[in-house]
Amino acid sequence: MISDFWQEVIHFFITLIFTLIFVPLIPLIGVYLDRKILGLMQDRLGPTHTGPWGLLQTVVDMIKLLSKEDIKAAATDNIIFTLAPVIFLAPIITSFVVLPFSPYLTVNALATGLIYLVALSSLDVIGVFMAGWGSNNKYALMGGLRSAAQMISYELPLVLSLVSVIMLTSVLNAGGVGIGSIALSDIIHAQMHPWWLWFALIQPLGLLLYYTCGLAETNRAPFDLPEAESELVAGYLTEYSGLRWAMFFLGEYANMVIVSAIATSLFLGGWSGPGADQDFWVSHLGGLWGGIVFNIFAVAWFQAKLWTLVFVFVWIRATLPRLRADQLMRYAWLVLIPITLFNILITGFILLAVPQLMGGNIIVAQVPLNVWILGAVNWVMFFAYVFLLGRITGVSATGKVPRWMKKRQAPAKIPAQSAPAQPAPQPAALVRAQK
Amino acid sequence: MAIDQENQQASEYIEGAEGFRSEEMILNMGPQHPSTHGVLRLVLTLDGETVVHCTPVIGYLHRGIEKILENRPYMGGIRYMDNCDYLSPMLNETAYVGAVEQLMGLEPPRRAQYIRLMTNEMQRITSHLVAIGTYLLDLGAMTPVLYCFRDREGILDLFEALGGSRFNVNYMRVGGVLHDFPKGWLNRLEQWCNKFDQSLKELEDLVTGNEIFEARTQGVGYIDPQQAVAYGLTGPNLRGSDVNFDLRVDRPYMAYREVSVNPAVRQEGDAFARFRVRLDECYESLRLIRVVMDTLPGGPISTRTPIALRPPRGETYFAVEGSKGEQGIYLISDGSEYPYRAKVRGPSFVNLQIVPELLRGHKMGDVVAILGSIDLVLGEVDR
Repeated sequence: MISDFWQEVIHFFITLIFTLIFVPLIPLIGVYLDRKILGLMQDRLGPTHTGPWGLLQTVVDMIKLLSKEDIKAAATDNIIFTLAPVIFLAPIITSFVVLPFSPYLTVNALATGLIYLVALSSLDVIGVFMAGWGSNNKYALMGGLRSAAQMISYELPLVLSLVSVIMLTSVLNAGGVGIGSIALSDIIHAQMHPWWLWFALIQPLGLLLYYTCGLAETNRAPFDLPEAESELVAGYLTEYSGLRWAMFFLGEYANMVIVSAIATSLFLGGWSGPGADQDFWVSHLGGLWGGIVFNIFAVAWFQAKLWTLVFVFVWIRATLPRLRADQLMRYAWLVLIPITLFNILITGFILLAVPQLMGGNIIVAQVPLNVWILGAVNWVMFFAYVFLLGRITGVSATGKVPRWMKKRQAPAKIPAQSAPAQPAPQPAALVRAQK
Repeated sequence: MAIDQENQQASEYIEGAEGFRSEEMILNMGPQHPSTHGVLRLVLTLDGETVVHCTPVIGYLHRGIEKILENRPYMGGIRYMDNCDYLSPMLNETAYVGAVEQLMGLEPPRRAQYIRLMTNEMQRITSHLVAIGTYLLDLGAMTPVLYCFRDREGILDLFEALGGSRFNVNYMRVGGVLHDFPKGWLNRLEQWCNKFDQSLKELEDLVTGNEIFEARTQGVGYIDPQQAVAYGLTGPNLRGSDVNFDLRVDRPYMAYREVSVNPAVRQEGDAFARFRVRLDECYESLRLIRVVMDTLPGGPISTRTPIALRPPRGETYFAVEGSKGEQGIYLISDGSEYPYRAKVRGPSFVNLQIVPELLRGHKMGDVVAILGSIDLVLGEVDR
């Protein structure tokens, strides 16, 4: 047999090749899906001409982008302008190290996986802000400022919404009692006993909050203010073109995939699903082939869940208008952060208090009772949040008075009908002009 | 020069807390910008994201239409009215031919008047669809604009069948209209009406009740009724501010004297109200089209007019309720084949005046929300 060392080496190269193929494929698939789905939702066809069903359109676009002239405006801050796309892209690419596409196709299953991902995702803002500052363009500057404010604000609820999941793993890890884990593989394993116990079912509110923050984190609609084309032309990307722009583009779509991958691992059971059963395949096909078949199933399940979430990104983009900058910030600080903290409080209280009150935990249908209660409470909170959301965001432009308190803005000072001087309707057909 | 001085005054240094100095920023929004609806240039003085001062600069699309009208025979001027407000050529032409007819003392036949009414209402729908769609596009909703343009396409096809041209229709004539309806045209119109009935409700469902849309538009760009009258606003912008003034009702012309119109009025006076008025006017226009289809009188479509029109000496002002407000033409005739003076009273030009007043104190994101709600067409502002 192969020694452990060579197994490590083979594992390294396989995962490296997979990542190297997968990462550049993301914008190709993502942009194609984006265009095609948007097209179908908007009653048009999307790309059709290049290749079958327009499949090669994004490939051709990429070739065009890569072969474009490198334009740099004279007044840009040269070093910052050039470095910005690299600094934006580097943490995103590095994030792929820990993403658990399948048990085998994980470059390095770090024990601190989640912290690592969250830490890297907050580095993006530096690149975006550098792009905004270095472009020496007012639209770019405003885009960069908006982006900095937005990404830093939404980082907090993003992390807080994941905390309740980590708390859940402390209950559901093998054995039932223990310390929560932040390794992505552990979190996926915690959702597999029984197999239908996805955390999205226990923490629907957590998923919703995480996904909302993920939208803001990736600058996608309705939180695409940093590059709002109707306000800021292209935001921090205004001065970029060609390869540098393509790097931002790649980063944006890769970011979408990372956010979806985290949601998949934490809330949708990661690579688990019918067919992805290691024991079954290994006992039937032997160690090597059983492992390969199992991993193929696992990768397929992970990718299916991942691209479903990416589809939701596109769906939201086709549906919702954009928020305003101050509404965006208010939403983060006044709505998301309190509600995520409240969610953590409730989750911790139920997980700890119920076993204390019952004198030991009762297992109902393979799942501890406190998890059942937690799920029920969270579903109630989920619907309450969705119901209240509209009321909280419906704040008038002055930023003070909620809408339901003050329905009508305008006091009708002039009674209708009498405002302008109305000439009497002209009687006969058409009055002859007079000198 | 005037702009620079104003900006210098506005951009004084502001002393912040603890010696931290912040400075106002001057941002040239336009003339090439995705959401200034053409070539409007707004010189914005920004304090962070807040607009402190705004100066609209116009004239980038000036083609001298009024001067061209003076150098064309009366019939030849009709075609240039298409390019004035390029989203509602039928309405512009009606205003122009109405003015010439008023000068000459002509009365077009009833059938022609009803055809004019019908095409005017169709044009109003297309113009409002563009206004609604691009407004939502400015607010970041990508989809509605395509739905709007899809429906608008149906009317443009009907115009093509009617006048030979989709956009610059050149259909009105002094004393009547160019052609009668081609065969089957009314059936096609009825089919379109039935389809549009549904898609308008679909559009309404897509937009109204959306919390983000309401948060973006309600209370934004509030215009007082008195202020609206003082600035000379007309059309949906005026009716959005609780002033019920509609030329079709208050100064009825042509077939509007026989057909009753219920103008849409909203009380709120904000961007949402102006948007709602446009949406409601689409329903009203659709109703009017159906009414006219049922009661379309027969007879000739045009009176006989001499080849070279020579109206008697005199001056006249004739206005129709355009899609953006009072679309007026002021003509002076010196008895020759050419107008001595032609003045276009463009509603967009008048409505633009209130924009700096509205923008002050609003956020950068509201600039497009307010500008879109005023519904400017720069072809008409600059003429």
